[in-house]
Amino acid sequence: MEKAFEIQKQIRDNAKTFQTYLTDLQNWEVEMKRKEAALNGQFEQDLPPVRSKIKKEKPVQVVKKPEKRIAASDYKAWEKFDVDKACEDIDMEEVGPVSLDSKKSQQVKMEKLREEAQYEKERGNDFVKQEKWDEAIKCYNRAIELVQDDPIYYANRGLCYLKKESLHQAETDCTEALRLDPTYVKALQRRATAREKLGSLRSASQDLNEVLKLEPHNNHARRQLETIRARMGTKGAKSKSSPATTPSVESKPIAASKVKSEPKIKGIEDQKPLIKELSPDDKWRDGVGEDITVIKTVKKPPHLRSKRPLKTIPIQEIQLGKTEPEKPPTRLKIVEIDSDLGQGDTNNNDSSKTEKMEEKVELEGSGDKIVVNPTSPESVKLVTDVLCTEKSVKNMLPPVNSVQFMSEWKNLKGHDVARSDYLNIIEPSKIPTIFENSLESDILSEVLVTLHNNIDKFKEKTITAYLKGFSGVKRFSALAMFLSSKDKELLNRLLTHCKTIDNSTEDEIADLKNKYEL
Amino acid sequence: MDDLDTPQIITHIESNLNHSLFDCKWIPCSAKFVVIGCLPKGSGTIEIFEISSGEARKIKDIQRANSFKCGTFGASSDVERRLATGDFKGTLEIWDLEKSCQVYITKEHTDIINSMDGIGGNTVNCGAPEIVTGSRDGTVKVWDPRQRGKPVANMQPAQGETKRDCWAVAFGNSFNDAERIVVAGYDNGDMKMFDLRTMSLRWECNLKNGVCSTEFDRKDIPMNKLVATTLEGKFHVFDVRTQNPSKGFAQLLDNSTNSGTIWVARHVPQNRDLFITCAGNGQVSLWKYEYPEQRHRVDQQGVAVGVPGTLKRLQRMVISSQPINALDWNRDHLGLAVATAYDQCIRVIVTTKLNLQ
Repeated sequence: MEKAFEIQKQIRDNAKTFQTYLTDLQNWEVEMKRKEAALNGQFEQDLPPVRSKIKKEKPVQVVKKPEKRIAASDYKAWEKFDVDKACEDIDMEEVGPVSLDSKKSQQVKMEKLREEAQYEKERGNDFVKQEKWDEAIKCYNRAIELVQDDPIYYANRGLCYLKKESLHQAETDCTEALRLDPTYVKALQRRATAREKLGSLRSASQDLNEVLKLEPHNNHARRQLETIRARMGTKGAKSKSSPATTPSVESKPIAASKVKSEPKIKGIEDQKPLIKELSPDDKWRDGVGEDITVIKTVKKPPHLRSKRPLKTIPIQEIQLGKTEPEKPPTRLKIVEIDSDLGQGDTNNNDSSKTEKMEEKVELEGSGDKIVVNPTSPESVKLVTDVLCTEKSVKNMLPPVNSVQFMSEWKNLKGHDVARSDYLNIIEPSKIPTIFENSLESDILSEVLVTLHNNIDKFKEKTITAYLKGFSGVKRFSALAMFLSSKDKELLNRLLTHCKTIDNSTEDEIADLKNKYEL
Repeated sequence: MDDLDTPQIITHIESNLNHSLFDCKWIPCSAKFVVIGCLPKGSGTIEIFEISSGEARKIKDIQRANSFKCGTFGASSDVERRLATGDFKGTLEIWDLEKSCQVYITKEHTDIINSMDGIGGNTVNCGAPEIVTGSRDGTVKVWDPRQRGKPVANMQPAQGETKRDCWAVAFGNSFNDAERIVVAGYDNGDMKMFDLRTMSLRWECNLKNGVCSTEFDRKDIPMNKLVATTLEGKFHVFDVRTQNPSKGFAQLLDNSTNSGTIWVARHVPQNRDLFITCAGNGQVSLWKYEYPEQRHRVDQQGVAVGVPGTLKRLQRMVISSQPINALDWNRDHLGLAVATAYDQCIRVIVTTKLNLQ
């Protein structure tokens, strides 16, 4: 009986799907007819050449003589070796010479692309008006994909990112727009806002000065500049200690765009005359006076980057204490510049320390095996360890907002002692203003662990004060609900500590217990 | 639940034409298809039909003295939509169907063109538009519609070797402007794979029975799977991702059905793991290729060797009393296909629930 029903149901279902299929089909027929009518004979395609012609054309292509390999021991030659240019050459090779047949259609194609991009931009602008940032970003992405050299698309996307609070992306986009058009006021203003929000007040004010140079009566910029100056005034000490790198980093794109013919990636030699006053940091970065080749970070927007997969280089560690290989190795000093940190907020001034990471990389005979030599004191692992302890001792500044706190906190991940030092420089009473309402439960539990593990360090400021401080953060009651049993155990221990060592009053303890929902 | 998702194969339109039919193809971007055949007196016909609300309406008819055998739109853009045809005398023609005239005629083959395939018409960055033809004269020739008269590549047996009748040809592996592969199947069961970039024979094997039809699951990707159907109801599925120097490609043989010659196999354009085979007893079967857990392993010599997957028959249906000799899926509508058979009928077939597979 059951079976009969099932079969019946199946037949009915099948009939139904078939019916819907047929209706679909009919709609499709109508649509196809309409589409077909819309098809015009206008069609041009960029096609590769006819197969038999390929052979004839081949000899025309200039066959480059493979350049002589530089011997590993030839120091002089390596010094002259322009890595940037070599990289560019390889990138260009991939793009290849444009097909010969398509020269005529190239212009038409470009025009079409432009039209399409313009259309996407219009759509994006509509989305911006509706405050649909994500959709707008998608539209601008497509526009940029179609036409890469229009600053407007970048600047508009930058605006969207700015609205979405994706500040770093906003800044990069505006920088790109400015590279294409250094006098683009809107882009400058947007970048200034992004930088202001990121905390790079000095560079923000530079942007605004640029705006005022271009448009002396721009009131908005003037007002913004004043507020920034005011902020800088209050934190004078901080902005002074802001990384000296920031201005030089950003002055590069502007300078580059002014001199259009100059290649985007420049050798170090080219840059020296441009920036006259070099701070010791810059000097170090450019390798002035040192006998090294500096490999600079190359900044390219994602769509311009090489699509080649990264080449894996086997790194072989040599046992500590083992002497260096017998044959004299070629030394190539690679200086890493952490560009992200360099541009970051004012608080990251110690990031220049991380940049000082030096790696001595030896190029062995064949050149594709790189041996990191841990016997040298600069070896990476050691440096990172040393760094964090160094960091913890000096050069740390109390955070002003939760963003700064979070970045530093993440930086110090895995270094509990350093974290406790960092906590120690924060004034407990300021905790609520630092975090406002952006404290997260996992951070809170990490803080608790740190407090507990380094309980002795907080004698002066007392654990009680810290616990109070955190409990004063907005919406703390919600956070307290997410505390795990482990966290609560830690809290209990901390509170006993408060009672016995800090001599806190019974009332205070009760209040804290209440707040932490123990 | 399994039963509920089983696709159904249903003959939507059946129309008798009263002459022999050899091939049928959907016209790209339209609800129209062409049927290639010959009249009893021996002259060839190209007919254009349009489906509209449950019937196939003939809207154009072209007749020529020589009977046509096969056709393709593969080398033509979706705007121009020019049909390439091969006929019994070995002539390759490209037709402007709007004006009913040839725009390209060449007769390099000395005997019937059994099979042809086209590529590059509507794909970007997948190489030049090209047509490959396989003929009874034993040669396989590749043509570029932009070059008149001479083929751009010619694969023929060496002097003194017997010429085998080439029954099936197909393009594949055309994932950039340079790479391209042609496979050809012969009446003695030989399969040959030619690399058009290096202009060399890449692989060959013998399937024991004459190869009636062959097709890559996709033409414009690095070659993935290849189906070849043969006489006596067998067909082979090759996993052509991994080629072992000694063993060649992993293959799977299906001879479970006693359905006579399998005339044609065609992959669903919207799902490359589904394909339909059309057999001599008028039966169509829908298959799904299921990949093994790992598509290749390393053998004792440390060389990669492919691992064949499994086949699952999703549905079968006898739709004709005579062999079905051609079938073409519609590129724009999932599950819609047109087929011709030796009972002189054209059939528009719909397959439901393909999207659930």
